[in-house]
Amino acid sequence: MTSIKERKIYDKISMEEVRIRLEEIFGANNVSNKQVDLYPYSYDMTECTKQMPDFVVIPENKKQLVELVKFCNNHVIPIVPYISGNNVGGLTIPERGGIIVDFGKKMNKIIYVDDNMMYALLEPGVTFGQLEKYLENHFPHLRYSYPFAPPYAGVVGNVILSGMNNMSCKLGSMGDSINGIEVITADGEIARIGSCFYGKDEADVKSWWSRYPMPDLMGLFINWQGMSGLVTKCAVQLWPKPNFKKVYLAATFGLTDVASILREAGRTDVVDDISAVSVEVVKMSVEVPEPTKYPGEPDFAALLVISAKTKKQFEAKKEIVEETVDYLNENGKNIILADVDEFSKLFNLRVRCYLDLPAALLSLVEYSGLTWFGSYAPSHKLEELIEKVDKIFHKHNIPAFIYMKSMKSSHYSIFRPIMRYRKFKGGEEERYHSCLEEITDTCISLGCIPYKTPIWMTAKLREKINPGWLKLFEKIKNCMDPNNIFNPGRWNT
Amino acid sequence: MLNIEKADDLLGISLNNILSYRKMDKDFIGLVNNWNKKIIIEIEKFYPVEVVFDGNEIKFKIDKLDKKVDLKVKMSLKSLLEIAYGRLHPINAVLKGKVKIKGNFRIGTVLKFLKIFVNSMKMVASQPNQNYYELNKETR
Repeated sequence: MTSIKERKIYDKISMEEVRIRLEEIFGANNVSNKQVDLYPYSYDMTECTKQMPDFVVIPENKKQLVELVKFCNNHVIPIVPYISGNNVGGLTIPERGGIIVDFGKKMNKIIYVDDNMMYALLEPGVTFGQLEKYLENHFPHLRYSYPFAPPYAGVVGNVILSGMNNMSCKLGSMGDSINGIEVITADGEIARIGSCFYGKDEADVKSWWSRYPMPDLMGLFINWQGMSGLVTKCAVQLWPKPNFKKVYLAATFGLTDVASILREAGRTDVVDDISAVSVEVVKMSVEVPEPTKYPGEPDFAALLVISAKTKKQFEAKKEIVEETVDYLNENGKNIILADVDEFSKLFNLRVRCYLDLPAALLSLVEYSGLTWFGSYAPSHKLEELIEKVDKIFHKHNIPAFIYMKSMKSSHYSIFRPIMRYRKFKGGEEERYHSCLEEITDTCISLGCIPYKTPIWMTAKLREKINPGWLKLFEKIKNCMDPNNIFNPGRWNT
Repeated sequence: MLNIEKADDLLGISLNNILSYRKMDKDFIGLVNNWNKKIIIEIEKFYPVEVVFDGNEIKFKIDKLDKKVDLKVKMSLKSLLEIAYGRLHPINAVLKGKVKIKGNFRIGTVLKFLKIFVNSMKMVASQPNQNYYELNKETR
C-alpha cells in the first residue's frame, strides 16, 4: 500500500496555488498532480517504503529550474530529482512528498562531445543507451564505460552517485571521471564547477576539460543523493576505443578462490575490468529460475577484460594475465581460464549480456523486486565477506547472488550481494529484507561502505560513523540547504 | 522428434545447448535415435556428467551415475575448446593424451561419439552469431 505521510508543506500555501505556479513555470502540459501520473514515481524495484509525490514536473531548461528552486525554497517544498528510477536504493522515492523533477523526458540532450579532450557534456536525462549509440554513430573511435545497468538508465545519476563501470579496474569509481558539473543551489544560484568555472555567462562547451586544480567543490554534490542541489549539466570523460580486446572467463573452484584473482589480476595494472559473480548468477542468466550450486561446479565466474592499441601490447597483456593465473594455481588456487567468446557459444549465448553492456540483465529484471547491499569493500577482507554472506544466503534459503569487482588496480573492491524477489507474493518482501538486513550488518561490521543507500541503511551507518563526520555532514547540509528542500529524508536528514 | 532434457548444472546446460543445435537435423536424429548408450563426460576440475541416450530422448545425470557405461571420456576445458574451434584434431588429442578414453568400449561407440559430440560442438562453434536473439529459437 502506498502511504502518504502527514505533511505540513501546504499549511502556508495551498496545493492549488502550488499547481498554478508550477504551470506558470513549466506549462500546464509539463505538470501533473493526478494520482495516475504520480504513482510510478512512488516506488522502485526495492522493498523501500512507497511514498506518493504531490506533483511531477518535466523541465526543459535550467531557467525553469531556477524558478522552481526559488519558489520551493520560499515555501519549503521538497524537490526530488528523477531520471529513470532504475537505482536500487529508493533514492527517488519522495520520502517527504513534494515535487518530482523528471529530467528523463526532456532534459536529455548530449550537448557536446569534445573529440580532442575526450569528454561528453550531458544533460541529466541522457541514458547509457543513448550515449553509446551517439558515440557509435558520431565518434566510433571513442568509448564510454558502462555499468551492469540497462540502456535506459541515466549516465549522470550513475556518475554523481559513484557508480561503477566496465573499466573500473583501470578507472575506479565513476565519480572520479567527472570533469565538471553545473548545479542550482538552494538560493537559486547557478554554479559551475571544474575548468568550466571561468566567465559570468554560459560556459564555452570546450571548457569542460578538467576537474582540478581549484578547491574541489564537486564533493558537495557527489554522493549526496540530490540533497545539496540540482545538477543540470555534467561533463564525463571518454576514452579511446582500443583496437584489440579480449575477455577471459576465470572459473574458480573453492568458495573464496575468486578473491585472489580479483586482487592479483587487478594489481597487474593491465586489466580494464574484473567482475565476478556466483555460479548461481551464471545460471540465472540462462533462465534457471531458482538455481543451486552442485558439487564440482565452480563457485564463481570472473570476467577479466583486457584491451590494447597494438598487437604487441595485446600479446604482452595476455601473457601477464595468463601468468598471473598460473602463479595462483601453483600456489594452491583452483582456477580455469578460458576465452569467453569461445566458451559462451558452447555454453549459452545468453551469458553475453554481461559482456555487451549496457544491457537489461535477465538475472536482475526477471522478477518484480530487486534489492541489494552495494558497497565499496576492503579487498583484503573479500574472503571473509564471501564466506559469511554465502552462509547468510543459505540460512535464508535464498540463491546466493554475489557480485564483485576489482577497482582501480585493486586499491579497493566492490562487494554486492543482490536479491531478486517476487514483490507481490505475500511475505516475500519481508523474508528478503530480513536476509538483506543481516547481510548489511555483517558487511558493515567488516568495513564495507554502502553506496546508493536506502534510508534504513544510512540509519545503520549513522550508528557506526564517527561523530565528527556526522556533525560536519549536518553542518554542510544545513549550510547548503537550510530549508531542507533537496530530497529531504535521504541519509536521515 | 528428439527430446533433449533441460539441465540446471553448468555442463548439462552446455550439452543441451550443443546437442539441441542439431535436434532438427535428420542426420543427427538418425545417429542418436535408439542409440541407447550411456556415456560419461568429465571436464577436468569440474564433475562427471552422464549422457543417457534412450530411444528418442537424451537425458543428463550428475549424481547416482551408472557404474557400467559404454564410454568414459575425460579432457580439460582447454582441450575441449581447442577441438571445438579446430585447433586440435580429436584423434591427435586422444593420441597425445589430451583426451582420455576409459572403459570397455567398442571402437564403433567412439566413432559415433565423435560424430555426435565433436561434430555438433564444431558446428556450434563455427556459428558467426554472437547474439542469442539472432539464433534459431526452435533449436536453441
